[in-house]
Amino acid sequence: MENISPIISYFIRQGVPLDTVIMLFMLPIIVTLIAFFRQVVGIKAFGIYTPAIVTFAFLAIPQLRYGVVVFVTVIIVGMLMRYLLKRLKLLYLPRMAITLSIVAFSILLLLAMGGWMQRTGLAAVSIFPILIMVTLVEKFVGTQIEKGNRTALLLALETLAISIVGFYIASWTGLIKFIVVYPWVILATIPVNIFLGKWDGLRISEYVRFRDVLKNM
Amino acid sequence: MLTLLKNRKKLLGMNARNLDYVRPYNLKKSKLVADDKILSKRILKKAGLPVPRLIAKISNNEELEKFDWAGLPASFALKPNRGFGGEGIVVVYGKKKGREDAWVKASGDIITVDDLKNHIRNIIDGTYSLSNTPDVAFFEERLTLLKLFKPYSFKGIPDIRVIVFNKVPVMAMLRLPTKESGGKANLHQGAIGVGIDLATGTTTTAVLGKGRHIEYVPKTRLLLSGIRIPYWKDILKFSVQAQEASGLGFLGADVAIDKERGPVFLELNARPGLSIQIANLAGLKERLERVKGIKIKTLERGIRVGMDLFGGEIEEEVEEISGKKVIGVIEKVKVIGKDGKEAEVEAKIDTGAGLTAIDFDLARQLGFEKTVEEYQKLDVDYEKIKDLEKAEKEDVLKGIPDIVDTAIIHSSHGTTLRPMVRISFVLDGFVIPAKASIIDRSHLEYPMIIGKRNLGRFLVDVNK
Repeated sequence: MENISPIISYFIRQGVPLDTVIMLFMLPIIVTLIAFFRQVVGIKAFGIYTPAIVTFAFLAIPQLRYGVVVFVTVIIVGMLMRYLLKRLKLLYLPRMAITLSIVAFSILLLLAMGGWMQRTGLAAVSIFPILIMVTLVEKFVGTQIEKGNRTALLLALETLAISIVGFYIASWTGLIKFIVVYPWVILATIPVNIFLGKWDGLRISEYVRFRDVLKNM
Repeated sequence: MLTLLKNRKKLLGMNARNLDYVRPYNLKKSKLVADDKILSKRILKKAGLPVPRLIAKISNNEELEKFDWAGLPASFALKPNRGFGGEGIVVVYGKKKGREDAWVKASGDIITVDDLKNHIRNIIDGTYSLSNTPDVAFFEERLTLLKLFKPYSFKGIPDIRVIVFNKVPVMAMLRLPTKESGGKANLHQGAIGVGIDLATGTTTTAVLGKGRHIEYVPKTRLLLSGIRIPYWKDILKFSVQAQEASGLGFLGADVAIDKERGPVFLELNARPGLSIQIANLAGLKERLERVKGIKIKTLERGIRVGMDLFGGEIEEEVEEISGKKVIGVIEKVKVIGKDGKEAEVEAKIDTGAGLTAIDFDLARQLGFEKTVEEYQKLDVDYEKIKDLEKAEKEDVLKGIPDIVDTAIIHSSHGTTLRPMVRISFVLDGFVIPAKASIIDRSHLEYPMIIGKRNLGRFLVDVNK
């Protein structure tokens, strides 16, 4: 680590942990990636906050697959709860409170099950990434109400996909080393985003959506 | 692949819609109007547009508790004021028999006052509003289904979406509710979108939901193309008027047709969906760019421009399928006579006549002066020769120059024996060789009629 950039070593001398510094430098890359997926590829996910936070939750869990298992469990339980609670005809917030509680218990069961199946890694997952994912349920159920099951499920899968890509990028040692040496490169994400923000071409997904029109116009 | 690259410039994508049209042309003030259904109802009504009648509104829990349920009519629609995409709407068709506190929904389910109260609480809490902000619930008059649309739609009312830009209607589609869409006319919920030819108001191609092309209403043999939408011009007029009243430069106007009231303006959309392009198999961007910057002074002019620029595809389609040209009742033709002599005239397309006929004057212009002269000299009175054999009749005109045949024509003016000459005429790009009878048509409006025998390559559209 002899090439370490002076700005990074300054942060470290001030007592900021290296991991934190790297995470904060990764954030612009992750959110730019999400913006790129939306504007150019056409993968929507739940806005920008959710895929970004899920990416960081994945990074905080020892193994990616445990993160994915927790994510999938949260979505499935959230979906089931919507059906179960529908008949009670409750108002939105109390209903959501019940959903969140049940999701929390399910995750606890999941962790215990992991221990029982000798997957101790699962039980060792720290609390904050889990809490982050539990709160995902509100986003998911809200989308279910507004846009229907199919869209909500599709957006959940898209969020998962983007977060996995984000996870691999943010945990790529080559990139981490590069940032430690040239942290200013991160500023390049700003012109990239200005370009994305002015981009008015068709998204890749739109070539698929409008294929009949494109062929028969 | 090459056409794909060429056509992508004509298509409007989500990025271009937001960046190049919604942002610059739909200012925040106008967007607020579009997102507030009660407010837009008031503004449109003031501009003289017919809108569904507002029955009552409930803004908070206190009003909900005091609400007079007995005052509600047997049928109504309950909507969230700032709802979007058709979510949170409840439509009831009548009171449940023998009960004062229950109604029947489109699905046949019963909905009670308690259910309604619960739903309204959710609306007030903002469950269905943009960004979940507190909202107002309102009741409005339920529209009744037009007989024409009955076989095509499942519960619910179809509506017509018209995209208006720069006072010009640029694209339109008919939206038909289906079982999948739960009686709602929103494409993303599974409704059918049918493209409309702007000039005639006739439906063309159709899409189910957001992607699949269909020709028939699912599980039936009902063809979706060729439906003639009634009040078409009024629908376009209302759409352009709504643009003027709302200030939305890039507007998606929704108009429904009520059985009794005729066209009724439903809703303003500041961010109209893009699937209309799939329904019409046409690109919006190309159309928007053609209309951009044109100075449109009056409403009528805007409608005219839209109809002229973006209509007529149906005709081309018919021509493509049948291999025949569609022509009107009166057409301009170039007639070629003796020695290449030409004349341009308006001809009447007459499917009631067998043969083509031309006036004396026109015949002279075409180099048949001698024929006309000799024929006039003979001054044949049909009454005198009517008992002759066919060959003998033909002999009467023998000796007239350039004659190729004779014809006996029975018309409302009586029967005549006429000479025929060889001509050809150019109609809509086709050169048609013909034998034409010569007769005095000076008292008639058109110097030429084209009869059945020479119309084999054409289809006649009487509206053209």
